Amino acid sequence: MNRYIELWIESLPQLLEAMVKVTLPLTLIAFVLSLLIGILATVMRTRSNVNPLNWISRFYVWVFRGTPLLVQLFLIFYGLPRLGITLDTWTAAIITLSLNTGAYVAETFRASVASIPRGQFEAARTLNFTKMQTLTKVVIPQAVRIALPPLGNDLIDLVKGTALVSTISLVDLFQSGRQVAARTYEPLAMYLEVAFLYLIIVTILSWGQRYLEKRSSRYVRSANA
Amino acid sequence: MLKLEDLTKSFEATTVLDNISLDLESGETTVILGPSGSGKSTLLRCLNLLETPQSGTLFIEGDLVEFGGKLTDEQVRTIRKHSAMVFQSFNLFPHYTALQNVALAPVLNGKMNKKDANKLASDLLDKVGLGAKKDSYPDNLSGGQQQRVAIARALAVSPDYLLFDEPTSALDPELEAEVIGVLIDLAREKRSLVVVTHNMAFAQKVADRIVFLEGGHVLYNGRPEGFFSSTNERIRRFLNIFETV
Ligand SMILES: Nc1ncnc2c1ncn2[C@@H]1O[C@H](COP(=O)(O)OP(=O)(O)O)[C@@H](O)[C@H]1O
Ligand SMILES: [Mg+2]
Repeated sequence: MNRYIELWIESLPQLLEAMVKVTLPLTLIAFVLSLLIGILATVMRTRSNVNPLNWISRFYVWVFRGTPLLVQLFLIFYGLPRLGITLDTWTAAIITLSLNTGAYVAETFRASVASIPRGQFEAARTLNFTKMQTLTKVVIPQAVRIALPPLGNDLIDLVKGTALVSTISLVDLFQSGRQVAARTYEPLAMYLEVAFLYLIIVTILSWGQRYLEKRSSRYVRSANA
Repeated sequence: MLKLEDLTKSFEATTVLDNISLDLESGETTVILGPSGSGKSTLLRCLNLLETPQSGTLFIEGDLVEFGGKLTDEQVRTIRKHSAMVFQSFNLFPHYTALQNVALAPVLNGKMNKKDANKLASDLLDKVGLGAKKDSYPDNLSGGQQQRVAIARALAVSPDYLLFDEPTSALDPELEAEVIGVLIDLAREKRSLVVVTHNMAFAQKVADRIVFLEGGHVLYNGRPEGFFSSTNERIRRFLNIFETV
């Protein structure tokens, strides 16, 4: 046991460094991009009078939700060079993670907007709101509240998904733990430490999620948040 | 003044309003009666262009629209500003307080600044007896209170015609009474009201005019006395439902 504690303390700086320099920034950048992609895909899909846009959006969600993240990563990093598109590891990782999470976020947004009762739109119409006013004053504030719990899940999946970038030789939290495990021959100790660090990230994110949910649900009486 | 001529509305193959013509005077309370599915809601919704009729004309307080082609946003907004709908299910915005629900439209419609709109909203909530609930969210209000906020919200856009689609059908009797009380006040002020309701006491005592629909046709259009003493067999059958308790 003492040996484990020593190992944990000794390897912690290295793991934290990988976490702060790779896992966290990758998560953050990919999440922000996936929100933008999600909004774009949702707008393309709901403003469906332009059919090709609607179709592209559905196709995108279909492909990126329907295939494994690992396969997407390999296609983009190892496959695209065959088409003359060579990306460095960071770019490939960010693009893949953003597109993958973006597909889930798009679904989250679409479902949130769809769950706003029809009566809300009718009330906005009878009061002569413009489409833009209906969107910004009626739809988005309510959709955001509905979207927060599933968005939190999308983010948590993303954090865990970043571990796959180790396969294209980025030294993230997981890859760093793997290196120490190989050096010390202590896989149990090291992967426990790695798991614990992911757990801490996810726990902190869950607290943030719950705080936001509470804030945005002030107006709902029976919210068991 | 509100005038419908040869209005026809169908959903796919079913004709719901069949060549309806109707004249409603300003300042009158019109109650629309009829069996379920007779087209009452559809008629009301056509007045506010929540539904677009296939043909006919609608003339409302100096603005005229002919149905048939596609209406422009501008046309819709012009016609729509003459009326406002109060729904059976209230449809308040849950993320805004009572006051914000009422104050929102005048600001968004560009008619008032926020300060004036809040003052107006506050006065209107006083008027419907909810002065103490201004900062409550809809979820913390009873159904009767929510419906009174919805009435204040409709009044805030100063519509020429207030349209009510079964405003008390979702309410318990004592809550129904408080909403009907507000409607009676509005009728006394000579506002133009068009009310779809099953509240026969209201129809009998408050209405200036009864319109009876059946199968998308107007079977009666006139004074309440004539309606309630009608010998028309369809009307009698309808009224009997309410008399046999
Ligand atoms: N959006 C719609 N699509 C298809 N049919 C509809 C729609 N709205 C109403 N109807 C039909 O039109 C008829 C009249 O409906 P409605 O105006 O709601 O009647 P009422 O309010 O008198 O009960 C009904 O048969 C109903 O099924
Ligand atoms: Mg109806």
